[in-house]
Amino acid sequence: MRLTKLICLFAVPAFLLVSSCARQESKFSVPVAYHKLDNGLKVALSQDKTAPTVVVAVYYNIGFRIEPKDRTGFAHLFEHMMFQGSANLGKMEFIRLVQENGGVLNGSTRFDFTNYFEILPAHKLETALWAEADRMRGLAITQDNLTNQQGVVKNEVKVNVINQPYGGFPWLDMPQYANENWFNSHNFYGDLNDLDAATLEDVQSFFLTYYAPNNAAVAIVGDFEPVEALALVKKYFGDLPSAERQEPADISEPRQENEKKFNKTDKLANRPALAFAYHMPERNSPEYYAMGLLDQILVQGEDSKLHQALVKKAGLTGGVNGGINLLGNMFNYNGPMLWTASLFHDSNVTADSIMAVVDEVIEEVRTNQVDQKTLKRALVKMRSGLYDDLGGFFGAGRADLLASFALFDDNPARINSLEDEFRKVTAELILQTAQEHLRPGNRTVLELKAGS
Amino acid sequence: MQNRVILVFFCLSLVLSGTSALAQKETPPEGGEPKDFTLPQKQSFVLNNGLKATLVPYGVLPKVYVRIIVRVGNVNEAADEVWLADLTGDLMKEGTQSLGAEEVAQQAAAMGGEVNISVGQDRTNISGDVLSESGPDLVKLLGNIIQNPLLPESEVERLKTDMVRQLSIEKTQPQSIALEKFRKVLYADHPYGRVFPTEEMLKKYTHDRVAAFYKANFGAARTQVFISGRFDARKMESAVRQTFRDWDAGPEAITKTPSPKSERVIYLIDRPGAAQSTLYIGLPVIDPSHEDYVSLQVTNSLLGGSFTSRITSNIREDKGYTYSPYSQVSSRYRDAYWLQVADVTTGVTGPSLREIFYEIDRLQDEPPSAAELNGIQNYLAGTFVLRNSSRTGIVGQLAFLDLHGLDDSYLTEYVKNVHAVTPAEVRETGRKYIRDDEMTIVIAGDKEKIYRQISNYGRVVE
Repeated sequence: MRLTKLICLFAVPAFLLVSSCARQESKFSVPVAYHKLDNGLKVALSQDKTAPTVVVAVYYNIGFRIEPKDRTGFAHLFEHMMFQGSANLGKMEFIRLVQENGGVLNGSTRFDFTNYFEILPAHKLETALWAEADRMRGLAITQDNLTNQQGVVKNEVKVNVINQPYGGFPWLDMPQYANENWFNSHNFYGDLNDLDAATLEDVQSFFLTYYAPNNAAVAIVGDFEPVEALALVKKYFGDLPSAERQEPADISEPRQENEKKFNKTDKLANRPALAFAYHMPERNSPEYYAMGLLDQILVQGEDSKLHQALVKKAGLTGGVNGGINLLGNMFNYNGPMLWTASLFHDSNVTADSIMAVVDEVIEEVRTNQVDQKTLKRALVKMRSGLYDDLGGFFGAGRADLLASFALFDDNPARINSLEDEFRKVTAELILQTAQEHLRPGNRTVLELKAGS
Repeated sequence: MQNRVILVFFCLSLVLSGTSALAQKETPPEGGEPKDFTLPQKQSFVLNNGLKATLVPYGVLPKVYVRIIVRVGNVNEAADEVWLADLTGDLMKEGTQSLGAEEVAQQAAAMGGEVNISVGQDRTNISGDVLSESGPDLVKLLGNIIQNPLLPESEVERLKTDMVRQLSIEKTQPQSIALEKFRKVLYADHPYGRVFPTEEMLKKYTHDRVAAFYKANFGAARTQVFISGRFDARKMESAVRQTFRDWDAGPEAITKTPSPKSERVIYLIDRPGAAQSTLYIGLPVIDPSHEDYVSLQVTNSLLGGSFTSRITSNIREDKGYTYSPYSQVSSRYRDAYWLQVADVTTGVTGPSLREIFYEIDRLQDEPPSAAELNGIQNYLAGTFVLRNSSRTGIVGQLAFLDLHGLDDSYLTEYVKNVHAVTPAEVRETGRKYIRDDEMTIVIAGDKEKIYRQISNYGRVVE
């Protein structure tokens, strides 16, 4: 069965064979080749000839969780510095090189990694690898560059948080309220004073500590030959020296026993908002996959229970947003995490009355097993979304999972087993997971009050 | 570890020691031979009632995207009907003659997708993205929603309450209120000038007005079905034919072409205490059906429409005044405007205006170097491939052609036309269309702190 489907997907142009396999339930898996260079660099390759493009993604195992305590926001500021110049590429030259070769690029800072990626015409693979290796080799930046990016990042915080109604709600706020351990509960975007305090020495030291090949993964997805690509990675990254490994920080969270309630005032907002979050089960455990399906059942899509209860039946809000890891997805993190949901509402409705409706929904899944139809629907939604992670965004979604699983699990091929892990989840496991992880005591509620 | 330290300091000294060191820099490797890119093949047909359909097989993912576009949008609203098109779209999701709202949501979810209805200026989009085997069922479900919506009266008040809340929230966002003003100035009483309704207006909408709007604006003759992804073409075609063959042709699409106007005036929206000033600067330009349109796109990308563009390089990467500035050519049917947007730190509002206009003037004074232009042309050629390399992107491109009445040559000749633009033409395009002396400038910011910074750049109106 599986073999037939694989052939159907890869060996023959898909559209020729769809009629013979469209009746079957679709399944999707991708080729994965995994190597480790002598200097510790992890390399994951996945060919996809759908379009003549290639994604080169470099992920460093340093997220904002573990940035220095007196330098909040530094992991993200540093991400900006990676575009400010290296030995062979001056300021703006990295970006110009990618654009002039017909590509797009970006970088981002998340809980447990900082990533850099380019999507280019396939024949520019070598150009991208050369450029990424150049900046992994070392930075060449000046005080002017740093001052400039301190200005840019402070403007980023202003446009997304300080000058924006509901800015930071709940994605930046909730971890600060729900978590106890500083690594999980500080302001990841950074205090403006901390951003101003950063020095070139901080930049240097951060680079030396975290931006080494043995703390990184390179993922390549697209139209290329794996043997040639691996040779190019070795050519450009092979002689980079590895760094001493850091002792991993203790980022664990204690079990939460009692519900926590907070409120914040947003003087730019004119309607109240409400968010609630629960601590997730341990990553990759059976309960974690069950929680992935509970997310689908409770908050993803208009068929979800919270949408039906809060929007359609009670008419308290126009929509409920939520998910696991609001700065990514349920796969690309490595530590404690929250499942969060949020909504806007009117001033004549109290947060307590909304939470009473939420409690009804949550208590239902903590009391009764979900019916098979609901479970099946959750699984279909999950698979459909997973296929887009594996193939969407020109391969950048696949590269993201490959690099994350290389860094966190030393096993990028895991991306092909996710679907089966979700299929193993039973209604009974969902009930058990809800009973432990959707406990009232495991919850943090944050009310946003509008106006000053 | 030791090696690395030395290496990094060596790099720093390279930069500090000036041009002799720069000469020793490595040249980036060119890469291999370019691979061919061909636009995906499509198949089109028209039903007797005028409904058009286009199928584009694409990719290996077992998913199929269906987007049904009806030529009705905010442009069809009267002055006291702003967002009535949106309310119609919302109410269409509340069930059909044969299915309740929850059933609609559950059916779509069981296919691995959702029913999305979005209303734009010119078009209403009803779409879904599901697992391949459910493609025909999705066509039937979306077809049912479009042709037989229940439009239940019982849900109207709730949806209106949601809209009042949404309106109230959007009007606190500096970017939204700046856009509202910008469009009001350009389009005056044309529907494109009406971004937001008033709360009073929303409260007057009734079930009957929604039903009348639906009846006046929905029908096969103004509808096009796009399907892209991995699917059985025969089954999908047959699902489209069966689902839509009995639908009435309905009313012809109504087009209302605006006559936008702009003059060099600063519209100041006071936001006391704002940490940033939100700038919206632009003017009407040619629309996509004009022969200079590709040249305008190239010029825009070079001026402010890409990361390496002049305005972004200047006010972000050189000055650090802002995080996410961009310029764009925003188009509707037989209409477009050029717009530069930036959220800049309050204290540098005046200097930001100075630098933006400096870059616009520079573009008009001298042609770009061949190297700078070539870089932008390569960027547009590369992103053209990306725009045509996803199932939603492909449909987006074809829908763009359809709206603007362009033929396939727009796509097949696009890369060639981009590369044909010369440095002198970029300067001419700048002079002809990006005329700074006619630009409308909207600023949402702290009046007390910025008034004196901005008053040199035009007459200020509050």
